[in-house]
Amino acid sequence: MKTPTSPTSPTSPAGPVRDYLLAVEREAAALPADRRQELLADLAEHIDVTRAERPGVAPGEILAELGDPRTIAATALAEAGSGGAEAPAPGGAVPSVRRGRVHPLVPLLMLALPYLVTTFLPDVPGLALCSGLVRIAGGVLLCTSVHWAPVRKVVGVVLSLVAPTVAGIVWRETTVAPAGDTPALVANLVVLAVVAATSVWLWRTRRA
Amino acid sequence: MEPGDPTKQARAAAQLRKGVLEYCVLALMRDRPRYGVELLHALEESGALATSQGTVYPLLSRLRREDLVTTTWQESASGPPRRYYALTATGRAALDEFTHVWPGFRDAVDGFLTAAPQPSAGDPA
Repeated sequence: MKTPTSPTSPTSPAGPVRDYLLAVEREAAALPADRRQELLADLAEHIDVTRAERPGVAPGEILAELGDPRTIAATALAEAGSGGAEAPAPGGAVPSVRRGRVHPLVPLLMLALPYLVTTFLPDVPGLALCSGLVRIAGGVLLCTSVHWAPVRKVVGVVLSLVAPTVAGIVWRETTVAPAGDTPALVANLVVLAVVAATSVWLWRTRRA
Repeated sequence: MEPGDPTKQARAAAQLRKGVLEYCVLALMRDRPRYGVELLHALEESGALATSQGTVYPLLSRLRREDLVTTTWQESASGPPRRYYALTATGRAALDEFTHVWPGFRDAVDGFLTAAPQPSAGDPA
């Protein structure tokens, strides 16, 4: 790099290029070995591609454009999280935390759990109202979530909120059987299965 | 302070670049996959985002680890195969988010920079 004279064979990656890559390797010694090898491979590829695309250009010029090995190594260390405070922690949870959105499980549990409770405790006063409110809140959270496409949200709300409500109204208007009877329990279990299946489907099709 | 001091200007530009470079790189891949040298050319031509080229590769490496981009090797008619970078769904979402946030951010900064002489909100002009 210090002597940008042409090597004996102008196309072979020797001389200044090798020295440059060795310098990067030395400066990046604090990087994990796989990251360091990846960086060296990226830089070597860049040099090869640039030489193929601009055959007339001197290797020294390509290396000068790439920049100081120390700067590159320092950037790599910062990006790897060992040299800079601004590097984000690894892990898939980072994007959702950064967006400040609720966990995808929250709306699904709010939609499904109240149904389970009211199915097995049909006669507790006030519980139906509470469960309805929680389920509506769950529907709102589902619709405002970043974890599903609009189509999935509509299907989810229809299957887990609208359909059970309509089914409940139709049931009450058309039968005389009091809640808690076996047919009502069976109907509730069917609806519960639909709601649970919808929640599972939404959970599986969520995006990160 | 000297407004024309190139060292201070370079420092300000470097600070700004730090925040936006990764989104500009993602934006370059919006319509089609690009290979590294291609991305660097585009940054170079922009002027303001031109940076020491080698420092973009660690950035690309992080984008790959964070699953914002994927890479594929493609043969080329001239020279060695190129590693092409393409947006993932997560990368596209991150780019969309930034695209959404940026105009408000830019306008707010412009507001501070231009409105400083007049403390009143109502601009008669």
